[in-house]
Amino acid sequence: MTASAIDTPLAEASGLVLAYGNHVAMTPSDFTIPAHGVTAIIGPNGSGKSTLLNSLAGVLQPRSGSLKVLGKPASEAYRQVAYVMQSMALPEGTPITVKEVVAMGRYPTRGWFRPLTKSDRRRIAWAMDLLDVADLARRHLGELSGGQRQRVYVAQGLAQDHVAVLLDEPLTGLDLVSAKTIDDIIHSERERGHSVVLTTHDLDEARAADHVILMNGHVLASGPPEQVLSRRNLELAYGLGSLHDSDLVFIDDPEHGDGPAVDALNPPNPSRHNHRHHH
Amino acid sequence: MTPLDWLAEPFALGFQQRALIGGVIAAVMSSTVGVWLVLRGMSFFGDAFVHAVLPGIAAAMLFDFSPYLGAAIAAVVMVGGIEFIHRQTALKEDTAIGLLFVGMMALGVAIISKSPSFTGSLTSILFGDTFGVTWAAIQGEAVMAAIVVVGSLVLYRPLLGLSFSATKASTLGLKPRLTHALLLAMIALAVIGSFQAVGTLLVFGLLVGPPATAALLSRTVPRMIATSILLALAAVVVGLTLSYRLGTAGAATIALVAVGTFFVVMHATWLRRILARRRAARAETRAQEVTA
Repeated sequence: MTASAIDTPLAEASGLVLAYGNHVAMTPSDFTIPAHGVTAIIGPNGSGKSTLLNSLAGVLQPRSGSLKVLGKPASEAYRQVAYVMQSMALPEGTPITVKEVVAMGRYPTRGWFRPLTKSDRRRIAWAMDLLDVADLARRHLGELSGGQRQRVYVAQGLAQDHVAVLLDEPLTGLDLVSAKTIDDIIHSERERGHSVVLTTHDLDEARAADHVILMNGHVLASGPPEQVLSRRNLELAYGLGSLHDSDLVFIDDPEHGDGPAVDALNPPNPSRHNHRHHH
Repeated sequence: MTPLDWLAEPFALGFQQRALIGGVIAAVMSSTVGVWLVLRGMSFFGDAFVHAVLPGIAAAMLFDFSPYLGAAIAAVVMVGGIEFIHRQTALKEDTAIGLLFVGMMALGVAIISKSPSFTGSLTSILFGDTFGVTWAAIQGEAVMAAIVVVGSLVLYRPLLGLSFSATKASTLGLKPRLTHALLLAMIALAVIGSFQAVGTLLVFGLLVGPPATAALLSRTVPRMIATSILLALAAVVVGLTLSYRLGTAGAATIALVAVGTFFVVMHATWLRRILARRRAARAETRAQEVTA
């Protein structure tokens, strides 16, 4: 990889507006997502997190403004960007095995027609081993638990040639084993010099990231977590009422970093655990 | 009469053989592209589509031009109309499909009613003229079938991606919008190519029946396609045999067999599940008795 490619930010947006039909999901926003490291997109429900992820994946075209992914229009960067679907997403009725789902990760490289090679098959096997789904290879996607399915979707992303991974709420509602496995992958991707972008509801996850984008219908703040996740910003994002009454908020206080403030923002989630990306 | 004669008799004459060949070709193309139609959850669209080609074919008969061209124009009008309503209004797609469905059907009946042989023309378009299929029609049908079957197999990756998730397909560079358009074109070809052999309405039995049955029996899409083709071929042979023996309409009997097979297989799989569960429960009880 050339030096200039390494220095190119994962994404650069200016005046970016995102909309579905008549519904504007994100009003004009400017932000930069650095190359390498973990970026967390956080915000309340319906704040446009998944929409932003879709635009980074090139699925949703900007309504106005500009968005460059790896220095190119987002729709042209798909070969280098692996997009991981939510575990809830299940193509019902499509008879498809785990191995075939993971193999789809090779389609961007092989295109519509070119057959898979030995090295493709090795890559598929490697990704399945990494996510611990090799023994599920012949299982039907519909027979898996949510956690297993999410691991299969991450394996699909890793089977793809990529420099960046986009994950839509990768740890939400998962069993502990699956959450741990995927959390490890987030670390290892970061260590390999790849960019990881994930959406989350969880303040702990956001604080553990290298870079945070706080959303509420637009990008409220973008930068290092200690700067972005200030009490004032969180009040702006989640509404004054949700934090105002609580004396338990210690978000901008490093002494109380793991205080119960998160509980004021998040519904109880049995699988939540502390998966910091910095050790 | 030997059992072999009993089976061969319905296909002894030239027109019966043409009916069989026309039906077999219709079965192969419809059941192949039908797999993708079922996986995409487009059955209602398919149903509307087979009605919507009627005015094109009717106009072709009245003004004496190729019925294939007429059906193709009607297909384009139908798809364009749905897309136009979808873009201009906030209505859901099924409402747009429903509007075009009845509108095009009514237009077709109105056009045919201007023809002197109203009932005969309408019946043969809608329900097929199985025993009146000509060699020329079979040739045209074979060309369209080749395009549809090759297309359904060659476009395996983009079609699988689209059935899996349009969003995911897009991020894999599989161009879901183009794939969807190609799928519509293949469905249109299957309907247009089959209408003389099995009729525009009853081709729907082969588009949905065998693929739906195959879905109950298959764990992968390639197996689903193979099973669907075999079931469709069986429906044609059994349907035509029954039609000969019972004196019923050819295309209708084929469609009835295709759909009837679905219910038989559905019940058989349901029964198999129950028996398997009982066997497992019995084995468990026995194991408990042994331990006790």
